[in-house]
Amino acid sequence: MSALLRAELLKLRTTRTFVALVAAALALSLLVVVLTTLIDDGFEKEEVRMLFTADFSSIFIPLLGVIGMAGEWRHRTITGTVLAAPDRLRLLSAKTLSYALAGVVLSIIVTVTIMAVGTIILSARGETTIGIGDLADQLWRNLVVSALLGALGVCIGGIVRNQVAAMIGLVVFAFALEPTILGLAPEVGRFGPTAGAPNGLLEVDAFGDDADLLAPGIALMVMIGWVAASFAAAAALLRRRDLT
Amino acid sequence: MMAPMAVVEIKDLHKRFGSVNAVKGLSFEVEAGRVTGFLGPNGAGKSTTLRALLGLVRPSEGTATFAGRLYHELERPSAEVGAVLEDASFHPGRTARNHLRVLAAAGEHPEGRVDEVLSTVGIADAADRRVKGYSMGMRQRLAIAAALLGDPQVLILDEPTNGLDPPGISWMRSLVRHQAANGRAVLVSSHLLAEVAQSVDDVVVISSGELRGQGTLEQVLGGDDGPATEVRVQDPDRLASALEGRGHGVERTGDDLLVLGATPEQVGAIAAEESVVVLGLKSRARSLEAAFFALTGDGG
Repeated sequence: MSALLRAELLKLRTTRTFVALVAAALALSLLVVVLTTLIDDGFEKEEVRMLFTADFSSIFIPLLGVIGMAGEWRHRTITGTVLAAPDRLRLLSAKTLSYALAGVVLSIIVTVTIMAVGTIILSARGETTIGIGDLADQLWRNLVVSALLGALGVCIGGIVRNQVAAMIGLVVFAFALEPTILGLAPEVGRFGPTAGAPNGLLEVDAFGDDADLLAPGIALMVMIGWVAASFAAAAALLRRRDLT
Repeated sequence: MMAPMAVVEIKDLHKRFGSVNAVKGLSFEVEAGRVTGFLGPNGAGKSTTLRALLGLVRPSEGTATFAGRLYHELERPSAEVGAVLEDASFHPGRTARNHLRVLAAAGEHPEGRVDEVLSTVGIADAADRRVKGYSMGMRQRLAIAAALLGDPQVLILDEPTNGLDPPGISWMRSLVRHQAANGRAVLVSSHLLAEVAQSVDDVVVISSGELRGQGTLEQVLGGDDGPATEVRVQDPDRLASALEGRGHGVERTGDDLLVLGATPEQVGAIAAEESVVVLGLKSRARSLEAAFFALTGDGG
């Protein structure tokens, strides 16, 4: 398993996609934090904490997972990959774990950077900042969300082999369908995998009513459930598919 | 004297895709130290058989094993079996070296093997270029490098000369002979019989998913004494059509035709009837192609 994990992490590092997504996530996250901290004033502690949930890793990492898995079919490299690792369950496990780790790395880079830059600007402007304990608490939540969404992306790519369809489907679901469900029926939407449950874990009040958020512990279990269910579906499909 | 060791065993293999029977009860063996040509026209079931052997498609019935073990049961598959499949593909944005480093990591092979196999296949100078800039021949050499990475005892090569230029084809022949000389079993599929005739010891011929013949090259070559004629004409399409209309198998290479089951006199007469100008005409000794066509009923 460790050999396959090393191989998958090496795959990630040896194309430009990961670097490009790190740069994009970092640039967008910094843009939001820098503009907000420079323009707004009268920050309260909760607003500062919310600001540091602006880690765009959680948007890019599931797309990276989709690209990593569905790309095996797009580039027809799946045959060589399965020849090197004929136990397809272990292969999918290694790929899922590698993208979860990639999510952690991406989120560390982005979150630590926006926390540092945001805190420096707020301090310079004499605004409220939050202590190291609160920053660490927010950091682990961001990391966990990115890790689980990276894993989810791989599983979606394993279910929907068409890379373009999988990416478009994920974007439509995350940015249109799930927010709509959240708005119309928050009691259902809060269980969603890309916004509802992550909001619960991050304690982001997207509904204007904290009562609609899942408790962080429950939200974590729900996200793990989504990953487990999609992993089971992807594994079942991968194991029975003929690679012709 | 000990019986030769069969390292690849295909036993009563069947593979159905929906209503299509791609492979129908195929059985044959491949021995260590020999090159076995796996021959058949396009669509005969060669690639499906090899993919079943490599665990990429699930047989409907029967087994395809390496010394009794399924591919996924091998302890370190890439150290025991190297494979080049017809559609060998690579991530276009990854360099050849990094592609092999990934496979070396997955197979737990020393990273030093990467440079060794890059040199073996002659693309060491291009190792740090992205694969999207590779020619088809270079990609094929990279696929062969990947197959050799684990120094396996069995090589499975599906149409390995695709995309190779004449020097590359010659190099490939030398490579497979060298591998067999070192005790390895080599199973090489092709629909271009002339390309493997010079390098194989044994042949397995299939058509429409069924075994049509097997044995040493000599045994198969000796299976039929029918005549064959090479002819060059100004209008090869017209003559080929006329010959096929009279029941002769015709294989075409450019303006040259290889006519099976016909003497030079017969071919000359048909050309005259069709008013086709003959530029060259000679008898050809019994060939693997002829045996192949006789076995498969494929007229080329």
